[in-house]
Amino acid sequence: MDHTRTLTFADQVRAIPEGEHLETCYACGTCVSTCMIQQKVEPQYNPRRLLRMVMMNMREEAFKSPTTWLCSACDLCYPACPQEIHISGVIGAVKQLAIEAGYTSPLETVTVDESLCSGCGICVMVCPYEAPALVEKAVDGQMDRVSEVDDNKCMGCGVCVAACPLGAIARPGVSNAEIVAQIPEPSAADGPSLVTFVCDWCLRSDADMAVLESYPENVRVIHIPCTGRIDPEMALRALRSGIDGILVCGCAPGECHYKRGTYVSSCKIGLLGRMLDEMSAQAGFGSGRVRFVQIGTQERGRIRTEVDDMLAYLEQAVTPVREAG
Amino acid sequence: MVDAARHPKVDVRTYTEVERVEGFVGNFQVQLREKSRYVYADRCNGCGECATVCPIEVPNYFEMNLAPRKAAYVPMSQSVPLVYTIDLDACIHCYKCVEACGKLDAIDFEIEDKVTWEDVGAIIVATGYSHFDPSVMPEYGYGRFPNVITAMEMERLNNSAGATAGNLIRPSDGRNPQRLAFINCVGSRDKRYNEWCSGFCCMYGIKNAVLLKQVNPELEITIYYMDIRTPSKGYEEFYNRAREAGVHFVQGRPSLITEDPQTKNLWVYSEDMALGSVMEREYDMVMLSQAAIPQPDVDAMSSVLNISQSPGGWFMEYHPKLRPMDSPTDGVYLAGACQGVKDIPASVAHGSAAAARAGRVLHSDEWEIEPTVAVVWDDRCVSATGRKCGICSRACPYGAIDYEQGKAAHVITAKCHGCGGCVAECPHNAITQLHFTDAQLLAQIHALLADRPEEKILAFRCHWCSYGGADLAGTSHFEYSANERGLRVMCSARMDTDFIYEAYRLGAGAVLFSGCHPQDCHYITGQPVGERRAERLLSAFERMGMTPGRFRIEWISAAEGDKYARVINEMQQALDNIPKEKLMAEIEELRPEMERRARRMREAPLVEEALEYSGRLEAVVLAGAVRVPEEA
Repeated sequence: MDHTRTLTFADQVRAIPEGEHLETCYACGTCVSTCMIQQKVEPQYNPRRLLRMVMMNMREEAFKSPTTWLCSACDLCYPACPQEIHISGVIGAVKQLAIEAGYTSPLETVTVDESLCSGCGICVMVCPYEAPALVEKAVDGQMDRVSEVDDNKCMGCGVCVAACPLGAIARPGVSNAEIVAQIPEPSAADGPSLVTFVCDWCLRSDADMAVLESYPENVRVIHIPCTGRIDPEMALRALRSGIDGILVCGCAPGECHYKRGTYVSSCKIGLLGRMLDEMSAQAGFGSGRVRFVQIGTQERGRIRTEVDDMLAYLEQAVTPVREAG
Repeated sequence: MVDAARHPKVDVRTYTEVERVEGFVGNFQVQLREKSRYVYADRCNGCGECATVCPIEVPNYFEMNLAPRKAAYVPMSQSVPLVYTIDLDACIHCYKCVEACGKLDAIDFEIEDKVTWEDVGAIIVATGYSHFDPSVMPEYGYGRFPNVITAMEMERLNNSAGATAGNLIRPSDGRNPQRLAFINCVGSRDKRYNEWCSGFCCMYGIKNAVLLKQVNPELEITIYYMDIRTPSKGYEEFYNRAREAGVHFVQGRPSLITEDPQTKNLWVYSEDMALGSVMEREYDMVMLSQAAIPQPDVDAMSSVLNISQSPGGWFMEYHPKLRPMDSPTDGVYLAGACQGVKDIPASVAHGSAAAARAGRVLHSDEWEIEPTVAVVWDDRCVSATGRKCGICSRACPYGAIDYEQGKAAHVITAKCHGCGGCVAECPHNAITQLHFTDAQLLAQIHALLADRPEEKILAFRCHWCSYGGADLAGTSHFEYSANERGLRVMCSARMDTDFIYEAYRLGAGAVLFSGCHPQDCHYITGQPVGERRAERLLSAFERMGMTPGRFRIEWISAAEGDKYARVINEMQQALDNIPKEKLMAEIEELRPEMERRARRMREAPLVEEALEYSGRLEAVVLAGAVRVPEEA
């Protein structure tokens, strides 16, 4: 008996580590509704269908599917899957084959300004996807060590943009300048002014997002892809211009859409709070004015409590930042 | 239940636990502990005055803790027997109940548990099943969101004799819900918790929906499902009735429930397969159809009854298709969900079959067993000389061997199923198996390897799996090497190391050690006994420097004819890859070691002796070496 046969597309996926559990999917759809991408970004996004495409050897369709490219491997679906399939692993295998076949990521990714880059490597350290790497290349006619980003690996979270000390990295739509431009001038008339940075993923229901948008003018909402995109300098700049408080709202620990963006930002915001505490004689000054909240997928309605709490605190805090700082 | 209790030949013992079981089919002795109710059953007339005056209220387990009961209680109004029980964990010893009982004088706090031994001929196990606790699944919020309830709680809320007299209210505010979601497969068909399908949840979900719709057609009921399984008679028709009544069925397993902190309404997130998109829908109340799981004390029960468990914890049947109501122990029968998930019609059929099986025992003076039982040569057993051993007793999956230091091991023939594991395990060749004696099997090995043994592949096959696999390979016309020579034993546990040493001593080219897959063993734990032995052999052969591939271990089921053919062909290939001179040299080199290892079998004049013994065996058995108590 001859057991040799040409490898099918499904065989190729199975041959890549993590791709092997593909077959056990019974199409319950848990992964689809656990994931927020379909509801928030792309109606065609559907891991269940991608797995079926692989099983049925629909190679080109799988490579063209937005599912292949949009999955950020946050792995919320992995513990939820009743068949214990590592779905992002299967999707990663498909993506790997797609890249080998010459397909490229359709995502908005970061760009490096090589004339500014000093080759320090901080972006390499903070990136959750190992997208940037330091390379030797000619910049303005002379050899230099600079960061180069693999567009197929970059998911566009912007953690590196915030981390770059020289401002050499930018992502269209959420560059430093674009975010800073959204910070309003405080108006003393309608209560304490609050700037809320909210990541694109932490508010599971549209109703919660609507709650946030329903506050009057003094609560300004700034959307960012990930709280890891926050640069403490933005918060400081806002406080200096007279904004009373900063609320940064991100995903719960372990639920970050970009794996460790919230971890990076929780460190940054925590440090900023402590720094402000030490700068001021007023107890709890920093931790009261600059807050970081992590909202889990099940915590419907929590955003209202958090904003109300913060406004109530700022109402009581007598000294405006301008005078205290 | 009431009928059964009144029947002159039925003795119902409630509130009683089986603590020990001894004996064998037709002759069991059972130790029962009748727990004290602190009430004399023969004096209590079930009037309930004690409960009326009792000042203590505790959650009522029967009502899924949705209602209270007193410390003096009956589990439910239809209880059999209708005798009250004092819950001493809750009782404050005010003795109002004693006062209320008055002249009947039925209550006595000094009554103790009653332990008795009973003789019985057969045992039917009907311990049922338990429910999965959904609070371990954080995504559904059971236990944190008051309006997420289980199906069993719904049963009581929806029951006219239940806590709310059938008025469906939601726990958070007592209002009648208008929008209900039922979620199927909670904790079942889920590798994280229980892999099996609980089978009946689809039907009771549909039943609850239809009942609720009959009372209030305005209710909006949505059932979330992965697959609707309605395979029995009339079930699919009932499912259609539910659809016609306006119950919505959404294919898609919900991944998340969130609660609105103000209204306590629930939002269910799921993919809707028909639409291919994620849906976020609001409900007043959610019911979780939780998995059926084995009873929590199933391990203790299985060791008391000496019956094994299938993966997952259900009691193991003798054969999944042909004898689903028999346990592997003769005289112990299984009824209903304790053997595996069953709905009501299946449980009734299973129970009736078990009763018929038990009836057969009760009406028989004699009991036929397989003739391949084990017999101990008392004069060879080292235990008789006072040495410590008991290896045979530990190898027996049925507890059929009585071992006591100073006495020869004794096989209770009625309990022996004839796997032969003890025979192969005994280091002193003091046990043999009728029809599979060492002499018989060695004679077969000699015959199979008589001609050009170096070209042969000697395959040890177990009767139930790999022998069937080889058979299937033949009937399916799968071609495999003609150099294979098969030898049948009842179980891989019977495959003695001596046989394999002897085969290599005779110059066998390759040996296959094959049997059932783990957990498929016909003799409960025979395969693991064989597997341990085979692994030891494999490493011994490696140390001796035997070419890899000359000894192979494979677990092949009776349905895997293709696998059997493939394994034999691969072994032939491996054998062909060894140059002939090298193979011959290796056989010669290993022969003295094999001879040394197999010497016990040959040095002891057992082979010759056993040939002689085997003639006497029948006489020995018939003469009463098999000790059966006189009353049997």
